[in-house]
Amino acid sequence: MNFISLIGIEFKKIRRSKILFILLAASVILWIPSILNSDINFKMQAEGILPEYNFLIQGFLGISWFMFPASIIVSTVLINQTERSNNGILKMLAMPVSTSMLCLAKFIVLSVLAAAQIFMMVVIYYISAAIASNIEDYNFMLPPLFVFKEAGILLISAIPMAALFWLLSVCIKTPVFSIGTGLAAVVPSVLIINTKIWFAYPVSYPFYIITAEYSKLSENMDTAEIQLVPWLPVAVLITVFCLAVSCIYFGHSERK
Amino acid sequence: MGFMLESKKVKRTGFVPVFVAGGIISALIPVLNMAVRHKIYTNTNASPVNILFDANWSIMAMLNVLLIVMCACIIYNSEYTDNAIQKMRMLPVHESNMYFGKLALIILMCIAVFIIESCGIVFCIDYWFTGSTGTWHLLFKSFVYEMVLIIPAVLFSLFIASAFKNMWITLGTGVVCVFMATMLPTDNFVLSLFPFAMPFQIFTNTAPDTINRFIIAAVIESAVIIVMELLLIKIRRISE
Repeated sequence: MNFISLIGIEFKKIRRSKILFILLAASVILWIPSILNSDINFKMQAEGILPEYNFLIQGFLGISWFMFPASIIVSTVLINQTERSNNGILKMLAMPVSTSMLCLAKFIVLSVLAAAQIFMMVVIYYISAAIASNIEDYNFMLPPLFVFKEAGILLISAIPMAALFWLLSVCIKTPVFSIGTGLAAVVPSVLIINTKIWFAYPVSYPFYIITAEYSKLSENMDTAEIQLVPWLPVAVLITVFCLAVSCIYFGHSERK
Repeated sequence: MGFMLESKKVKRTGFVPVFVAGGIISALIPVLNMAVRHKIYTNTNASPVNILFDANWSIMAMLNVLLIVMCACIIYNSEYTDNAIQKMRMLPVHESNMYFGKLALIILMCIAVFIIESCGIVFCIDYWFTGSTGTWHLLFKSFVYEMVLIIPAVLFSLFIASAFKNMWITLGTGVVCVFMATMLPTDNFVLSLFPFAMPFQIFTNTAPDTINRFIIAAVIESAVIIVMELLLIKIRRISE
């Protein structure tokens, strides 16, 4: 069985999971306050950011600090539990398929779910920007190229975090501990982005990146240049390490 | 009977260690915050309880609510995996007993978490705010208030957990609700009545009559959620 068909099978497994509704609900809840408080975008003279940029960035900040990491955790629970209920994993492990391929296929599914959430968020952004433009009589719509660039950066910066959560869910068998560790890791990211060692903490990457974009777009804020040098190697190292360890450990306890 | 049975069931799920660990993590937040930035906080004249709650409670409350959502999800998941719940339904007891047993267990755990958290705050007051009087009474009242306001959140997350068979739907709905609670403005009374938003309220900077209104609202909400749960059990029994 080649890798592509493995990924296809993994997608079939979550077909009836209704996960997309949960992700959609999160995106809708994110933008409703932005529509209701759209007049606040005109009061950002202190930061010196244009109202349409503020509208976009505030929404992105809202999702990247808690909801986006948390929905990745929910997706790991989904991928694991569909397999574990009725011992589906034992049947998968009995087949002549490499377990690390299986593990990587599941990680790809996880990343695609994260991408789906970002995509839904962008679609709802355009709907809510159109509504807000009507209410305030001011054009909040930004060119798609810019919006997709920001969304793409957010998604790519989340990959090390997704790898970390995947590692937690593969290696910690008791679901309460893997979810608990993940959620507990999300909350302090607000504090970590203000420290110098943020690059060592993958959960804070998406929030840090969006905060940096925010200060780049506003004239009066100190532009926090993203230092690529310690960050990129560390991020790649963390991702590779997490994926390698989860590939090795995948199915380990079931085969005993 | 319900409570003893439920506490035996959670023995190997890691339920108690997670509550203790969660309590310790959130108790460390004010301590770490004070250790790093005590100069900003000790220079003001406000009551130490007020300062500490203002600075740290939003994160601590968020940890508490997440802990409750997660543990409600685990406590019901152990029933649904391997169809244990079908055996429970066969026994000559009301299914609602199970709900109340689990409720009592989580509330007991919440009290434990609040005790651990108050230890963190007491340490901060004792170490950084020397010479302040009358704070212990205020601190006790604050935690009793938080305890009352967290009950609707416990009831609601258990309601969600009992309604869905799949753990990710329970967890996803819970997390989305917590997210919604963080997005709601705290100064709007009607909006902060959302069960997951109430634990974010702070005793010391709320007017006395608003406090009474919140307590009444918490009691009414709890009653409504219990009725919803009883209806859910009835409807499910008829339709299955």
